[in-house]
This record gives sequence, structure tokens and C-alpha cells, in this order.
Amino acid sequence: MPNTYGNRTLTEWLTLVLGVVIVLVGLFFVIGGAQLAMLGGSVYYLICGVVLVASGVFMVLGRTLGAFLYLGALAYTWVWSLWEVGFSPVDLLPRDFGPTLLAILVVLAIPVLRRLETRRALRGAV
Amino acid sequence: MRRSHLLATVACATLACAPLAANAQFAPAGSGGSPTSSVPDPSSDNSFEPTENTPAAKSRFAGPSPYAPQAPGVNAANLPDIGSMDPNDVPQMAPQQSASPASGDWAAYGHDDSQMRYSPLSEITPQNADQLKVAFVYHTGSYPRPGQTNKWAAETTPIKVGDGLYMCSAQNDIMKLDPTTGKEIWRHNIHERYEAIPYTAACKGVTYFTSSQVPEGQPCHNRILESTLDMRLIEVDAATGNLCPTFGHDGQVNLMQGMGESVPGFVSMTTPPPIVNGVAVVNHEVLDGQRRWAPSGVIRGYDAETGKFLWAWDVNRPNDHSQPTGNNHYSRGTPNSWAAMTGDNALGLVYVPTGNSASDYYSALRSPEENKVSSAVVALDVKTGSPRWVFQTAHKDVWDYDIGSQATLMDMPGPDGQTVPALIMPTKRGQTFVLDRRDGKPILPVEERPAPSPGVIPGDPRSPTQPWSTGMPALRVPDLKEKDMWGMSPIDQLFCRIKFRRANYVGEFTPPSVDKPWIEYPGYNGGSDWGSMSYDPNSGILIANWNITPMYDQLVTRKKADQLGLMPIDDPNYKPGGGGAEGNGAMDGTPYGIVVTPFWDQYTGMMCNRPPYGMITAIDMKHGQKVLWQHPLGTARANGPWGLPTGLPWEIGTPNNGGSVVTAGGLVFIGAATDNQIRAIDEHTGKVVWSAVLPGGGQANPMTYEANGHQYVAIMAGGHHFMMTPVSDQLVVYALPDHKG
Repeated sequence: MPNTYGNRTLTEWLTLVLGVVIVLVGLFFVIGGAQLAMLGGSVYYLICGVVLVASGVFMVLGRTLGAFLYLGALAYTWVWSLWEVGFSPVDLLPRDFGPTLLAILVVLAIPVLRRLETRRALRGAV
Repeated sequence: MRRSHLLATVACATLACAPLAANAQFAPAGSGGSPTSSVPDPSSDNSFEPTENTPAAKSRFAGPSPYAPQAPGVNAANLPDIGSMDPNDVPQMAPQQSASPASGDWAAYGHDDSQMRYSPLSEITPQNADQLKVAFVYHTGSYPRPGQTNKWAAETTPIKVGDGLYMCSAQNDIMKLDPTTGKEIWRHNIHERYEAIPYTAACKGVTYFTSSQVPEGQPCHNRILESTLDMRLIEVDAATGNLCPTFGHDGQVNLMQGMGESVPGFVSMTTPPPIVNGVAVVNHEVLDGQRRWAPSGVIRGYDAETGKFLWAWDVNRPNDHSQPTGNNHYSRGTPNSWAAMTGDNALGLVYVPTGNSASDYYSALRSPEENKVSSAVVALDVKTGSPRWVFQTAHKDVWDYDIGSQATLMDMPGPDGQTVPALIMPTKRGQTFVLDRRDGKPILPVEERPAPSPGVIPGDPRSPTQPWSTGMPALRVPDLKEKDMWGMSPIDQLFCRIKFRRANYVGEFTPPSVDKPWIEYPGYNGGSDWGSMSYDPNSGILIANWNITPMYDQLVTRKKADQLGLMPIDDPNYKPGGGGAEGNGAMDGTPYGIVVTPFWDQYTGMMCNRPPYGMITAIDMKHGQKVLWQHPLGTARANGPWGLPTGLPWEIGTPNNGGSVVTAGGLVFIGAATDNQIRAIDEHTGKVVWSAVLPGGGQANPMTYEANGHQYVAIMAGGHHFMMTPVSDQLVVYALPDHKG
């Protein structure tokens, strides 16, 4: 069986790590968000968590779709947080700062994911 | 690959389970159950303290009988009992420095008898304050030594009278300093033991007293009076620091007399006693949360000349003002008062800010007399020790809303152009009450509003209403909502949202619960705490600094309290650190213990609610009590997640402890915030015109004085263990550069 993880470059490894991180955050969101929703709280975390888990899994699998799912989750996060607290920098900080920082890494990972997809497509063609 | 998968799984499990741990340190839901049978049944008429013949309590951890002898070391100096004297025989008091201080002096804790914290000095102004430099630093020598738990928070405000700056160390050594150089003129060590430190080693200040009996020029004509952590009342000669031989037993009185069973650190004194018409009035703190039958919160009057006992105000013995004799003691568990009291020579009153009956979070065992006077301002007649009036700020308090602030006396403009002698009473609730000090009637409107009741604890209903001072700006933010939860990231914000939703919360006065935690906002750190307020009588501006620090509380059954190892400080098994005031408490003698933490993310140490956590507000008292300015107090420079300083100059608004000074120069000086800075603020605009970093936390009230023609600003940078600011033993004094040339 050919080793698909064989000759990975550093950026490809980092992309994999990024995907794992997003899966972890997503799982936290799903579990905590489900609890919060059951307690009568916001459903944002549960919904966002599901998208994040999917995003992370696709990134780990080397699929560009993962990155776009993340950017979708980020857009949802911004819309939700502006709806919840308006243009209040103090309140936007916990909601959007971290996710937006992570989004920069996700955007940087898009060319890497594209390369992985191309390589896979070529291998499939052989 | 396999290894990285494993790591990922572990990390994932750790992260994913974190939400489940949101309440880890609290009793799981449903663990409430019925209380164990070995505790008093609140439905029976059992709200009286045990008699000498009551059998010992059966719970696993329990304090001794109130009739047991006091432990060794409680009477620290082994002083004999003090005799009594008829209050009518107290000699006419000589004119006191604190009644009308010289313009450059700061003659009492809050500057003068009015406790306005206003100084008429004006050399330092908003224009030149940025040139302030350290003039000198004085080391008191009191700080935690290796092996000692950090319980330090000196909280000291020196007084300045004539040629001396008089102050005490956190462990009550008394000293006189040269006000221009900080050089020690004398120092009187009282050799207080570490065990005597209760919750906090603090000495807020000393009292300057001029005798009418000892002629001028003789030793002890002018005296320094101090009350100590180990319950001594001490008078020394202001000129030499030597004990005054005609006061008590060679200068000392044992205030544990008549208190019954106790151990060192259970009761203690941290505030300067006021002297009203020759009567030195003393209060003391009783360690919170220990046991229902903790030592009494009795307030006592002593002759300031001789130290002889004059009267006691013992809540559950309202008609008996004498000292207990034989094996008797003052009634146990009554509300204690630990805040600085304010004297009123003209009306012959002392205004006592009271706290709560012992076992702060459970009220079923309190007597009707206690319920009338807890968390209140009580005006005691200094001739008799009887209350002339009482104004309660929280009814049947189970939220630790004891009053920490000192009342400020001022004149309020009345309806007919006359002024009304008024008293401003800040509270932890952020409700500031303005009362007529002749009869305790509100000058600004007070409304009794419905409050959540009866609550859920069987046999312990909450008051159906609570008082709100609707004429004053409330020093609080609106009730918390889920969206007010905060954090560094959505992860800790989610954690806090779950914590918020898991707790009982219906706004202020949410009743205590045992099945799950409840959120207490305002928290027990205020609103306003012991820093009190400062008032400029000329501009009519009142300066208030306050906190936004909710707490997360839960009652636990006796069984659970035993499992947590909660026991009162006088239990033979007690080890220091095993539960104390302001935290988890055994509340021995009641069906429940109490678990209290800040409402925070315990993993990052950050508060769960959004900033600000501390504010400063200026209120115009002469024109309709409008807010002139208000902004967050304290930067994020020394605060951050996991206790790490961020170094950010962002004025986030930190929790604060300690008050302000306002001057004729138009400046407010204040430390208090946990960013360890002192700052000068323009009184009229709120603009911070100067700030400097202190060597420790500035959790003390600053003061200002004039010496050698120059104005000085002094603050004890003693830090505060509970506020988690660095402890130091340094008094830092600032002045403008000396332009001698």
C-alpha cells in the first residue's frame, strides 16, 4: 500500500496540525454547545461546532473544502456576534479575535490543500 | 502516525471534557438531600445559643462550647480584666485635632471627624501633577516570612498631626515618622504573633487623642490609640511612643474580656477606633463562615483617658450594657462590624456600619433583634450604648452584604435653603444611602422593592422586599446575561456561558440554593467596599470607586461540608488554610456549609463576566446627584490569564480595594486597582493626569499633607492577598520636585 503521507513537506504537516486543532475546537464546541443549548443557552456553539468538526476533518484529509467550511463558520461567527453584541470591541474580542487569527492560517493553508488535491488527482489518474 | 493519533485523542478528550468540569469543585446537582439530623432543626425554637449544659454537637467537625475557656494566646499580653466606670463620669473631652485639623494635617483616618477624605491643600494641581516624584519610602517591616501563608494586606492610612506622621504596620507596630524625610522618630513594637492574623493582616490606621486630664508638656498629653489584630486597645505617648501608664493596665486593655470561648485569629480589630466625647468606641471583625455560635459582634465603649469599660451594645442583650461576669459572655453569633466607624461629637453618636450574624449564608437561626440591625447603619448613643436609630441596607442578608465602608458626614442642601446634617453610607450593593444623621431618615428617596422570596431553603425565607436608594446613581451594572460572559476566546467564553446557565440566577438577591450554585451579583467585594468615598464640600463632588465582581456560591449539606473538610477555626482539628473567611466555610451549627468562589474561569483565573471589573464615578451632590464622569479604573498591565501580566495600558477596569482622596487642588488621588498604580485624576473631568507604578498593590486609602511648605501624597503599597497583588511593606510618599534654589 502506497504511503500517502510519505513525502510530506513542512507546510503539509502544519496544515494537518491545523486541521486537528480545528477538529478539537469543533468537538469542544459540539459537546459544550450541546450542554449550553440543553441549559437554555445559545445554540451558536453547537451549530458552529458541527461545521468546525467537518472543516477540520476535511482539512486533515487534505481537502480544500475544509478551509472553505472554516471560512463559512467564521462568517457565521461574525454575523452572530454582531447580532448578539453589536459593534462593541470589548465584546467582539472573545467571539471573533481568535477565530479570525485562525482564519489567517486557514487561508494560508488553501494553496497547500490545493497542492494535496492536485497530487491526489494525478495519482488517481496514473 | 499511531503516536500522533494517540496524542490527538488525549488532547481531544481533555479539551472536550472541560465543559463537564465547569462545576467540578461544586457539589453535583441533586446532592442536596436533606440535612443531617445532628444539626439544629430550624423549625423548632432553637435560635438561641447553647447553654452551659447543652451536649456537645455531634457533627464530625465542631467548635467547642461557647463556655469553654479561651485558648492560650487569645489574651495576647495576659492582661488582667479591666474595671467598669459610669459613662456619666467621663470627663469633658479636650478639643481634638481631628475636629479642626491644621490645613496641612490629616488628623484622622478620613482626614477629620467628618471622614470626607478632603484636604484643603492645593500645591499639586492637574497642571503640575505629572511632575510628582517619590520623596521617600518607609519600610514597616511587616510582610510574610518564609513558611507563613500570605495573609497580608496592610491597608494602612497614616495620619499627620503637627511634626509627625503616625501609622501602624500590618501587624500593629506603631511608628512616628518625620513627614519630610520618612525617618523613624520612634517605633513601638507590640510583638503580635502570626497566629493572631485572622483573614487578613491589616491595620487601617491609628487615632490621635489629646487628653483633658494630663496637662500639656507632660507625657501622654497627646496620645496615639490603636486597636490590634490580637484584640488589644493600646495607647502610647505621641511624643515618645511609650505606653501610657494611666490607660488600662500600663497602656493596654484586653478586649477579649467577656467574649467567651475563642482562639487567636477568630476575632480581631483592623480599624482606628473613633473617640466621641471622650468615649473610645471599638468594634471588631469576627471571621466569616465559621460557626453559628461564633464570638459576639458586641460594640463597646471605653474611657479614652483611663481605658475603663463604659458600655456594651450586645444585640441579644439589648437592655444590659454591662460587662459579663463570671463564666458568662456577650451573646454569640451576633452581627459584627469590621468597617471604620464615624463619630459625631455634636449629636453624641457613633455610626456603626454593621455586618451579618455569624453563618453569613443561612439566616434561620438568627433572632429578631439580630435581623433588625444586621447589614445596617446603627447610630449608637455614646453615653449609653443604646441605638438611637437604625437604617438597614439589606434585609435578612445571606449574601455577605456586610457594610465595609465608613460613613461620610456632610451637609446636604435642604428644601428651605437650610442644610441638613447628612451621612453618606456606601454599600457593597452599590446602593448609596444618604440619611439625616439626627434620626436616620432617608434624605434622598429609598424604595422598598420586591425581591426574590421566599427562596428554596426550608425554614429560611428571604425578605419579600429590599431597600433601593433611587435618588443616587447605582454603582452597579445591570443584571448579568449569558451574553455578558467573556474570555480570551470562544472556548473560555463557552465555558463561562455553561457556568452561567448552570447556576440559579434571577438578578440581585438570588436566594441561596443547595442543589446547584447561585450567582451573587453584586458580589461581596462590592460595589463599594472599605475604601469608602471622598467628598469635596466646596465643589459638592462625591468620588466613588467600585467593583463589578460577581461571586459563585453554593450551600452544601453538612455531610458534604464534612467531606470537604470544612471546619470552624476553633475546631481542634483546624489547620490554617482549611477554610476561612471569604471562601468556603463550615457554618458549623447550621444545616449547611458554604462554598464560595469568584465567578470566574478557574482554569485561566479570569472573571467570567465582561470587563470592566472596577469603576470610578464622580457624583454631583449639589445639583441633583448626577454622574459628572465615570470610567473604568485600572489597566490590564499587571493582570491577565493565568495571573500573567499583559503589560497592556488598556484601561480595562480592574477590581479595586482602597479609596480616594480629593483635594482643593482639584485632584483625586487613588491606588486601589490591581494594576499596582497610583494615579491623580482631575476631579472635574475624570482625566487621569498622572500615574506611577507602586512597589506593591495600592490597596489602601492614600492621604495628603503639608510639611515644610510642600504638599505630599502618601500611600501604603502593602498589596492584598485576596486581590492577588504583590505584598510589600513600603509606604511610598510623593511630592513635587523641590525648587529650593
